[in-house]
Amino acid sequence: MGSDLLQGTVELMVLKALSLEPMHGWGIGQRLDQTSGEVFKLPHGSLYPALQRMLRKGSIRSEWRTTENNRRARYYIITPAGRRQLEAEIRSWRRASAALNEILSQ
Amino acid sequence: MSLITDLSERFRALFHRDRADRELDDELTFHLERDIAERVAQGVAAQEARRQARLALGGVDLVKEQVRDARGVRPFEDFAGDIEHAIRLLRASPMFALTIILVLGGALGAGVSVFAVADSTLWSDQRYGVSDRLVRIDQSNSPTSRWSLSSVDALALIEQQRSFDAVGLVRRGDLALAGAGSTERVVAAWATAGFFEAVAARAEIGRLVNRGDEVESAAPVVVVSHAFALERFGATAIIGRDVIADGVHHTVVGVLPAAVVELGGIRSRVWLPLHIKAPQRRGPFWLRGVGRLRPGVSVDMAARDLAAISHRIFPLWASSFRDQSAIMTPFPLRDTILGDAPTRVGLFGGAVLLVWLIALANVATLMLVRASGRQQELAIRLALGATRGRIARLLVTDSLVLTAVAGLAGVAVAAVVVPFARMAAPELPHITDASISTREIMFASAMSALSGLLVTIPALIASLTRRAGRMRVDSRRVGRDRRSSRLRAVLVATEFALALPLVACAFWFLQSIWRLQGVNPGFTPAGAITMNIQLAGPRYADGKARAAFWQRLEDQAREVPGIVAAGFGVNVPPDDPNEVNNFDLVDLPASGGAEPTAPWNFVTRGFREALGVRLLEGRDFTAAEYASDSPAVLVSTSWAHRYFPDRSAVGRKMVSGGCTECPLTEVIGVVSDIKYQGLDGNGDAVYQAVSLENASSFRLVARSTLSEDDTIRVLTEIVHGIDGEVLVESSTFSARLGGALDEPRRWTVIVSSFAIAAGVLAAIGVFGLMSYVVRQQRRDIGVRLALGATPRAMTMMVVSGGVRYAIAGSMAGVGLALIAGRWLSTSSFGIQHAGPLVVLIIAVSLTVVAALASWWPGYQAARIPTVEAMSVE
Repeated sequence: MGSDLLQGTVELMVLKALSLEPMHGWGIGQRLDQTSGEVFKLPHGSLYPALQRMLRKGSIRSEWRTTENNRRARYYIITPAGRRQLEAEIRSWRRASAALNEILSQ
Repeated sequence: MSLITDLSERFRALFHRDRADRELDDELTFHLERDIAERVAQGVAAQEARRQARLALGGVDLVKEQVRDARGVRPFEDFAGDIEHAIRLLRASPMFALTIILVLGGALGAGVSVFAVADSTLWSDQRYGVSDRLVRIDQSNSPTSRWSLSSVDALALIEQQRSFDAVGLVRRGDLALAGAGSTERVVAAWATAGFFEAVAARAEIGRLVNRGDEVESAAPVVVVSHAFALERFGATAIIGRDVIADGVHHTVVGVLPAAVVELGGIRSRVWLPLHIKAPQRRGPFWLRGVGRLRPGVSVDMAARDLAAISHRIFPLWASSFRDQSAIMTPFPLRDTILGDAPTRVGLFGGAVLLVWLIALANVATLMLVRASGRQQELAIRLALGATRGRIARLLVTDSLVLTAVAGLAGVAVAAVVVPFARMAAPELPHITDASISTREIMFASAMSALSGLLVTIPALIASLTRRAGRMRVDSRRVGRDRRSSRLRAVLVATEFALALPLVACAFWFLQSIWRLQGVNPGFTPAGAITMNIQLAGPRYADGKARAAFWQRLEDQAREVPGIVAAGFGVNVPPDDPNEVNNFDLVDLPASGGAEPTAPWNFVTRGFREALGVRLLEGRDFTAAEYASDSPAVLVSTSWAHRYFPDRSAVGRKMVSGGCTECPLTEVIGVVSDIKYQGLDGNGDAVYQAVSLENASSFRLVARSTLSEDDTIRVLTEIVHGIDGEVLVESSTFSARLGGALDEPRRWTVIVSSFAIAAGVLAAIGVFGLMSYVVRQQRRDIGVRLALGATPRAMTMMVVSGGVRYAIAGSMAGVGLALIAGRWLSTSSFGIQHAGPLVVLIIAVSLTVVAALASWWPGYQAARIPTVEAMSVE
């Protein structure tokens, strides 16, 4: 998988995960591993640069909170702009994958 | 991508870098701990869980680097890092930093000072109401003789001129301003509406003088400066307020903008309308004309226009003014205000430029040595993947940090120097306005940045060449690569090349001072004093009243015991030629060209005796001549020799003051020379007897056996005994002679201090270079000494090395020095013989200085212990 596609995909998956609830970095990693059925096996370290880029874009924001185990952790929260971006990307992804399915099923 | 979140994230990353890094640490630590805990909970052993967690994350340091990159502030962070690095380096070598800051800070301080002076003197047309198109209009009958316009000229000028868009008249004078309780005398200016139009003045509030104000019957109005309004009324909204000037109520109609301190080169805080009455005779000459040239009209064209007007009005008023050669002449206004200030500021600026360049060469040498010392560090950086651009940026940032501090130091230096410059060169126009403002700070920033770039160039050349890129571990050989040492030699030689012209200039100035001190002024100053006495006001409107005053003063002065001689004149030595007259010799007619001029001293009996001017040939004035303004003159020896080198001047006749209808003026005798036109000037002088009633001002000259102070005190008492309100200004001739040397002395001090700075910097340069060479060649020298070379030979080797640079540099500087010499001898500094001999002497002296500066390193070289040198390896 090309790195551009991968990067875009990582951001899309992170946004999807954060659209459900705010999460810290480790939690996002766990969530991606579980939901993708370990199809996208990416080193969790690469999440953090991606999160940093998304912070700059304004699609997410971050906040230090206490975890259920009473530890301080940095939580990432999706912003309204992030939600709009997520919806737009889901739409375009669906269009693309539908088209791709169409082509592949012929 | 939202620009604002992007910028704020970047901003956070840049300025809260430490915090961002700390948070990243915390975040990754949490990640690892959480991951380990999870794995342990799944039954993995603690040790193994830790290993797996690290593996899953993919290298903590790598992640950190990637996150930092993702912050998008890498270039800025690098820059900040470079600055930190530079500051660390400075802390590591404070002496190095201090040397550079002192050397460059001093040079930049001088640079900022000269900029501040030039800024106020040469480049502030707007503040002073001056432009290229403005001319000042004077009467003139020869290039050296100029005076003001009369009402006749002014009215004709306004009516008949075709050269100007706007033309007006102005005069300055004293004004008595009634204030709270007391009356103060201020300098005020009276001007016509045309003057304000010509200089394109505008009022900040209200209006300026208009044509309606010029009528004598108009209500008295006044326009004031911003500063005056604030000082006197505490506000600028003062239209309609009352000012009592010369006892008359004036209404304030306008306030000038704060930025305007002068109009047409005239400094005044109070401006009144000028009334020009219908003239009864051609004189008096009391007005200054100022005009703005029409587009396309040159000064020469305007001169022809004005000459034609003068010729038209001459016959109408010939009965009261007989100098047909006197015509209205336009002079570019800026030139008349600045005089020779551009030359002086140019000299000042040139000296500063040279010292700055020498300082740059000096600092560049130091930078080069340090860059050589850092060769290994730079090589390692290159090996670790830093680009050449990155290394260059590192070096430049290093220099910029240093020169920025030097720039700050320079501004501090200038803040001290500028007030000093105001005292050191009071003859420069507007220098009292010189100060450190935003423009000066901007100049300082630009200069320090430029300095930073320039001093890094040699280091860049040496560091970024391919050879230097190789990692070299042999620290003993550091800085010995050939290119770097050649660059250093060139820099040091350059310092000598630049110092040579400066030191030569200082020497020429000293020479001219010595010469001036040796000049015979033609009189004995000790025991002689002079008083400038002015009779003003309606009381002295009548010639009889004036004559009575002068006569009483003369009689009473002569009765004072101890006063040997006293008399009146209009010119006093050594440099106060108030009256200069043109003349046309019957035997040597000027035929078309400009008539010659000479200081023309109208004197009464006793003047010559008081100054000790001896009669050498012919006869003295008779009592009848003293009483009748007769056309008989005495001439000085210099005058006689100039015009009649091979025959007697006595009996020669001339047309004086351009008056062809007057009786011819005749030379009746020749007297000894005294200097009226400065110690530099020639001894030309013409004396004519004058009767007492004509003069409204005189210079009383007295010689006595009393102390000079007592003479002044006694004579002042006599003057005030006759009339307590007469203005008197006294000085001793000893002080006047000292004063004549004052200005050349001050400029000599200015130039010499730069020359000394240049010489010292060059000496430090060669000292630093030779010390460095000795340090680098420590082993070689030690080996030579061990092999039997004498210590003396080693010293000589080092000294001759230093001398070689000085000679090479001096030779390169000879051309520059000769150009400077030629410029000086054509300038107004009174330097006559700026010849190549001095340049040669200075070149030799600088070489001696280089030898002395290299001697200590040479001495050190001779003392290198052979054993230690051999065992450095």
